[in-house]
Amino acid sequence: METLYNIFIDPFVQMFGAPDFLMQVLWEGFVSGTLYALIALGFVLIFKASGVFNFAQGIMVVFAALTLVGLYSLGMPAYVALVLTIGVMGLLAVSVERLVMRKLVNQPDIILFMATIGLTYFLIGLGEFIFGGEPKKMIADELGLPGGSMDFEVFGGVLILENRDIAAAVIAAVLVAALWFFFSKTRIGRALRAVADDHQAALSVGISLNQIWAIVWFAAGIVALATGILWGAKSEVSFALQVVALKALPVLILGGFTSIPGAIVGGMIIGLGEKLFEIYWGGLMGGGVESWFAYVIALIFLLFRPQGLFGEKIIERI
Amino acid sequence: MFYRETGQYKTSYEADSSIFPILQDRIGIALMLIVAFVVIPLAGNDFFLSSIMIPFLIFALAAIGLNILTGYTGQISLGTGAFMGVGAYACYKLTTYFPDVNIVLLILCSGFFSAFIGMLFGLPSLRIKGFYLIVTTLAAQFFLEWAFIRVGWLYNYNDSGAIEVPERTGFGLVLTGPSATPTTRYMVVLCLVVAMTWVASNLIRGRIGRSWMMIRDMDIAAELMGVRPLYAKLSAFAVSSFYTGVAGAMMVFFWLGAAEVESFDVNESFSILFMVILGGLGSLMGSFMGAAFIWILPVLLRLIPESFGIDISVATLEHINFMIVGALIIFFLIVEPHGLARLWKIAKEKLRTWPFPYA
Amino acid sequence: MSQEIKPGEVLLELEDVSLSFGGVRAIKNVGFNIKRGEIRAIIGPNGAGKTSMLNVINGFYHPQEGTITYKGVHRKNMRPYVAATQGIARTFQNVALFKGMSTLDNIMSGRTLKMHRNFLWQMLYYGPARREEMQHRERVEHVIDFLEIAHIRRTPVGRLPYGLQKRVELARALAMEPELLLLDEPMAGMNLEEKEDMSRYILEVNDEFGMTIALIEHDISVVMDLSDRIVVLDHGEKIADGTPAEVSADQDVIDAYLGVAH
Repeated sequence: METLYNIFIDPFVQMFGAPDFLMQVLWEGFVSGTLYALIALGFVLIFKASGVFNFAQGIMVVFAALTLVGLYSLGMPAYVALVLTIGVMGLLAVSVERLVMRKLVNQPDIILFMATIGLTYFLIGLGEFIFGGEPKKMIADELGLPGGSMDFEVFGGVLILENRDIAAAVIAAVLVAALWFFFSKTRIGRALRAVADDHQAALSVGISLNQIWAIVWFAAGIVALATGILWGAKSEVSFALQVVALKALPVLILGGFTSIPGAIVGGMIIGLGEKLFEIYWGGLMGGGVESWFAYVIALIFLLFRPQGLFGEKIIERI
Repeated sequence: MFYRETGQYKTSYEADSSIFPILQDRIGIALMLIVAFVVIPLAGNDFFLSSIMIPFLIFALAAIGLNILTGYTGQISLGTGAFMGVGAYACYKLTTYFPDVNIVLLILCSGFFSAFIGMLFGLPSLRIKGFYLIVTTLAAQFFLEWAFIRVGWLYNYNDSGAIEVPERTGFGLVLTGPSATPTTRYMVVLCLVVAMTWVASNLIRGRIGRSWMMIRDMDIAAELMGVRPLYAKLSAFAVSSFYTGVAGAMMVFFWLGAAEVESFDVNESFSILFMVILGGLGSLMGSFMGAAFIWILPVLLRLIPESFGIDISVATLEHINFMIVGALIIFFLIVEPHGLARLWKIAKEKLRTWPFPYA
Repeated sequence: MSQEIKPGEVLLELEDVSLSFGGVRAIKNVGFNIKRGEIRAIIGPNGAGKTSMLNVINGFYHPQEGTITYKGVHRKNMRPYVAATQGIARTFQNVALFKGMSTLDNIMSGRTLKMHRNFLWQMLYYGPARREEMQHRERVEHVIDFLEIAHIRRTPVGRLPYGLQKRVELARALAMEPELLLLDEPMAGMNLEEKEDMSRYILEVNDEFGMTIALIEHDISVVMDLSDRIVVLDHGEKIADGTPAEVSADQDVIDAYLGVAH
């Protein structure tokens, strides 16, 4: 009886007993949701255009952030380092397309997926080889990200919003808008959607698959860089991020592999859900439940709706 | 020249479907077994036995486990590390409750626990496929990792949070713990691995193995041929997790001596997956080759610069190892998706017809 | 449960079957029967719902309306696995072989339902398990001889040319020793010689083993030669049903195939 009370009643009593704290928890959840959504967005870009499930997106985030910090530490001005890092991500995109994707055209999805796991390990090794394995501080102030925080009085308590988190949300929103514009209004965007629909048909009207792939990997690289800066500013730049980035997978399960709005909604559900669960229910189970909550939610969700939130029911043909 | 099957006629279906239908292969495997059972224990020093051979065999067994699931049944899993952990913790608990029972028996029993957990997390595979399944195995991985830390009962509420292997006996010998000699431990591991590999090869060439491969190659057609996806997939999950669980228990009891949750983290899952990919999806022989490769490459990387008198830090070597493994994975997937095992097969085919290019 | 059906009696009866995907109706109120021992053809232009019809028969698609009576047992739908246990085997329009397995293993896979040795015996591959495997191997070798594919026994099917893949697929279905064999365009993409071979096999299977066959085929001359009765579908509706002579004289069929001025 007491267990039932602890599970079903007490958390809600706590929530409504201290609404200011609840607001704070929700805000924290929203911010981490934004970051999950950004990583998922990188996955979606590549999956849409090439059907490749890019496991390396997480390490690309780390790699981009490390490159930025590394270049800055060589004595470059922050903005020059930023531009150069974008260049490095472009280079990475072109090399991945040339050396990996192009060679694996028409292979089964699972082979391509495993190739991106290989890429992940290669990038981990390369990143640690060049920059060393120890965590680093993101150059947030140098890039002009605001510090400090804003305090609001709510429900008789104080809600603290870090300016940096607000900036993260704004930057993420701008990024999504820019990508949306790019993919729905420009010529390259149209070509990309054509490729996403049908490779063969796209080829037959003269769209270069290789070029499109390089472009989406580059776009995913820029998203990774933005994610890396924002995440690094919140904590620090380290390879531990790589494991956290795996949480983008459950986000994709919820949102669907091809939907940008899905990635955002999925990110929010996971971000908010895991914070609420950790704070209000985690104590019952000894804490630390954040590490698996996202996956278990995705697993349960899969059992009831295998096609994702926005996906259509799959009709199998034979 | 010497590797010819000319003149070796099969007069029964039995002879035709034996594991090694060619005489030279039978001789080869016999030689390998003699080396493994006689030469290595006699000639190998303690370092070679306990730091190279024992882990190699244990990883090979784990790779066979994952290969059954991924290579033969086509269900990709990133939860191998955690399933190994289930085996290890189960064995630890079993030996706590039954200290006098032969430890080898307990290790095999602990496989049933991981088989059960594996089936549980394999249930979603009935409705979902491919990438989606990765997430459910990751759910298993992270949930179990969490449980290994938070559920104190699993490690007998030790302050260290680690499981430490007590001294246990079997067959009148000390098999585990600090006073067990490397040779004894090696022999036990070898016997278990050889026996379980033999069982795996039997399963694979029979009806059950075929139904796994049918699911892998075309699940819809498999069902129309009378394979029940529920049975085929869950049995693959069960057998696979049994193997990985036993490998996990052996890893702690015969090799590491003590383990924390880090030994069973997602990186362990990845490294077993790499053994399977490099060795060859759907090949038992490949599981051994992949395990040897992934386990011995870092050792070689350490030895080669040393022998040239170049001093490279351990961390740097590890980074280089990561890069090489990552690049090799991509290389193999591009050039030979069936891994080392296929290269070996091609070499044998060439040998069969040598010195002529075609038969 | 299911009753014994003698040659010439109705083995499978479809009544008023309708199937739709979302808003698209693939099959509209179609009914016909298949008698034991006959070769029954389903023909029609592209998109007529022929393959969907086979999918309904072996339980891969579940129709929204209508009933199916197989061996005297009514059912609304069934799982493909159940259809297989009831003795329905099939081949596919786009070859659905197990690409990673050899020809021999592919055909052995047809014996899955006939093998019963349990897990423990399989583990040891000894005694009963091995004897069982060998018995079935022998049956499979008969099929291999019959279809003249002994030389490709050990070849992975992915490496075989298309015509041979079709033949291996037929072999796999035959290895199931089914009561009702569904063939989905068994001769698509074959040259004349291969078609003649395939026709011969189909006739022999029907004659010698008395196997009931339902087939979809585009080559009208082959269909006219092979089949006892033909059902014609167009846009998911049945437009004719009868002997080859009756069907070829039917005005609706001629219109459907040649087009008609509206």
